[in-house]
Amino acid sequence: MLRIYAILVIVGLLGGVGYAARSYYHDTQNTIKVLQGNNAKLEIAAETAEASTKALQADMIKNAALTKKLQSQLQKAEAYGDELRAKLNKLNLVVEALKDAKVLEGKMNGATAKLWREFMGDTGNTNQPDLPEWLQRSETGTGSEDSNPDTKDSDTNSNTTEGSATN
Amino acid sequence: MQLTDTRVFVVTKDNYDEFVKEFTEVYGELAFVALSMKDYENLALNIAEIKRYLQQQTEIIVYYENAVTEKSDGD
Repeated sequence: MLRIYAILVIVGLLGGVGYAARSYYHDTQNTIKVLQGNNAKLEIAAETAEASTKALQADMIKNAALTKKLQSQLQKAEAYGDELRAKLNKLNLVVEALKDAKVLEGKMNGATAKLWREFMGDTGNTNQPDLPEWLQRSETGTGSEDSNPDTKDSDTNSNTTEGSATN
Repeated sequence: MQLTDTRVFVVTKDNYDEFVKEFTEVYGELAFVALSMKDYENLALNIAEIKRYLQQQTEIIVYYENAVTEKSDGD
């Protein structure tokens, strides 16, 4: 009888150990699955972070180049005004007018016509009018080397032009 | 923009009579706007300032256009 009890106890113990081992195995497998899932998520997060870092670095390089170019272009836009100021500081227009009014007049009209055409070019107008006849005459009269031999406009009035605007 | 040519006459006491004759021949009546040399200089400087502003605004627009586009060669 005692032997039977001993066998029952041993079988019970072995069953308990087996159950515990089975539970441990299942818990471990579940933990492994969760960890594998977390690992996959972390890998995706790491890849996304790396891609974002690369994109930010590329943006920084691009923006630095664009900013440098902008600074250079903004500086360049100051050139015309600086040149004009320097020229006006150097010249005394009253003296120049008294010296030779026609020469000064030709220079003024030539510079003004050039300025209007630069404005038109800056704003995308590629169809610019020819120089008016009175300006060609003035430039020829003053011996200007800048006169445009291709000009055709024979209008003597300064309030008309040819060509059409693109914007 | 489409701009119109503008004509300037430089007049001194020496060429005033010639100016009156030429001006009347071209425009019919003797009526004109006169500017002192100083005011002419100021007008030229004001226009230069507008030109600078226009060019800079254009460059800023180009900058933002390039900044928001995917690919940019900085143009």
